[in-house]
Amino acid sequence: MEKILNKIQLSDWIAALDGWESFAPILQDGIWSYQPIKRGVNSVQLEYPNTTQPPKNFTFPQREVFFTFEQIKGEAPRLTQILPTDKPRVIFGVRPCDGQALPRMDRLFNEQFADIYYQKRRENLAYVGLACNTPPSRNCFCKAVGGSPFATNGLDILMTDLGDRYLVTAVTAIGDRLIDHGVQLFSEPTGRDRAEAGQLRIAALKQPQRAIQESATVPKRLKEQFASPLWEELARPCIGCGICTYLCPTCHCFDINDEVATPAPLRGSRIRTWDTCQFPDFTMHSSGHNPRTEVGARLRQRINHKLQYFYENFGMFQCTGCGRCISGCPVGIDIIAVVNQVTATPEN
Amino acid sequence: MDANIYLPNLARVIFVKEEVPGERAIKTFHVEFIDSAGFAHECGQCAMLSVFGRGESMISIASSPLVDGYKQFSIMRAGRVTSAFHDLEVGDVIGIRGPYGNSFPIDAWRGKNLVFIGGGCGLAPIWPVIQTAVKKRDEFKQITVFYGGRSSRDIMYRTELDKLRETAEVHLSVDKQEEGWQEFCGFVPANLMNKEPSPENAIAITCGPPVMIKFVIQNLRSLGFQDNQIYTTLENKMKCALGKCGRCNVGKDYVCTKGPVYSWADLKELPPEY
Repeated sequence: MEKILNKIQLSDWIAALDGWESFAPILQDGIWSYQPIKRGVNSVQLEYPNTTQPPKNFTFPQREVFFTFEQIKGEAPRLTQILPTDKPRVIFGVRPCDGQALPRMDRLFNEQFADIYYQKRRENLAYVGLACNTPPSRNCFCKAVGGSPFATNGLDILMTDLGDRYLVTAVTAIGDRLIDHGVQLFSEPTGRDRAEAGQLRIAALKQPQRAIQESATVPKRLKEQFASPLWEELARPCIGCGICTYLCPTCHCFDINDEVATPAPLRGSRIRTWDTCQFPDFTMHSSGHNPRTEVGARLRQRINHKLQYFYENFGMFQCTGCGRCISGCPVGIDIIAVVNQVTATPEN
Repeated sequence: MDANIYLPNLARVIFVKEEVPGERAIKTFHVEFIDSAGFAHECGQCAMLSVFGRGESMISIASSPLVDGYKQFSIMRAGRVTSAFHDLEVGDVIGIRGPYGNSFPIDAWRGKNLVFIGGGCGLAPIWPVIQTAVKKRDEFKQITVFYGGRSSRDIMYRTELDKLRETAEVHLSVDKQEEGWQEFCGFVPANLMNKEPSPENAIAITCGPPVMIKFVIQNLRSLGFQDNQIYTTLENKMKCALGKCGRCNVGKDYVCTKGPVYSWADLKELPPEY
């Protein structure tokens, strides 16, 4: 299904989405983030660069409770699993790179041992994407990692900004249903609308972006350069803050811990929180042995996981080229520059 | 919808034994499931054990799959969770989920000589293989066990090892000279070179501190063991044991699902980050 929506009617469409909780990027304190849209309160505009954080929280929240426990010593505990009970959620303005993250996270969380917490959130989630007529960040590099400014992977709808209106293209059956909710607000696209969108797409594909050189051979070249001394050299400024992984739409490492509310009788919860391979104790055994003690090894782990290991397992990069790890790094470590330097062939 | 993979079963501690006292204390626990029939496991698989309120740890299952009724775990007091285990008493109830990972391919080892090389609490992960081989003694040829601790006090399964001498060759060692110690003094890899087990029709299985494993593999290779005759198990840090949390990641493998058991032929293909 493909329709035209006047921009001024975007809020009306959101208001018409009965049974859905809607989110869109809102600028607050200088930060663009996905916020719930309250009907008739905020007027939604999607003229934004890209959100500081990806929409990862909607499927994989920074902190979540698996179950609660109550136990008297020597007795069996009472465990109560806490499953997500969110209403169906629709997220407006998702950039194609962030859409691309979903099929990657699906591979990890849904396959082999299916994660019920991820699953329940995921099946209740719809993404209304916004094509990037111009790169929303100077660090965008989606084209180097198999993406595109108009990619629809992971999205239910792709909207193309045509100035005063959007071309709204449903990608999935859920996308069709979302349009149906406000069908009276839409009109049929004309040939001119479609031609205009087509031209924007061609122009966007031609827009220069930063690039990983010869990215098709990057997995192989990273493997060859595992022992490169450049890893340690390029990682030297790293302060181990982990922001590169927390801002990443596909980083999924986590920790599991028990939080105690009262010690006797014991009451508490088992929780999952985001974790990061950039922390030195991430891999440390309780014996003190640590497979990755050096900062260079941790930078290599982050980059190799995305551009070599995940590729070897699933045939696609685990990086979607959003550029957040570059923009957010306080010391200027740049995944593109690192990969290009480490994998540069000697004659370059 | 699938089951909740993070929700543990419940098991009661029915037996606690202090194996090793002191700073590097090791205790052995037997636990039996109380909320279900529990799970069957294979040699080399591990489980996530939890003391509620303290957290979860990955512990390899030390009992043979041929043992009915309980699972055995031998745990060194090291971190927050393992310390909580050392405070447990018979009757306490823990969380247990599993079994996780692959296993030692012992069915493929019928008719072979088995050489086990363990160090410290690294005897526990290979103990189910030893126990299974002993229970099916006529399926295997010679069974040799090398095992060492820092001192004689650090030798775990002392009684069981003495009993093992009835059916297997057992070579114990302590790192440093010690009064009254009758057997080898020196590191485990050195004891291996001292006895020079033959690689002929043999499989070597090793587990221990990472540095010990490294030298054991070097020495096995110099004795003529081929890469596919050497097996070890990577007991990496894990949080989920389900191939998701990322802690145990080595190269393209999540050790919890692709391992923990590796032949040296497979392991040497991975980056040396274990």
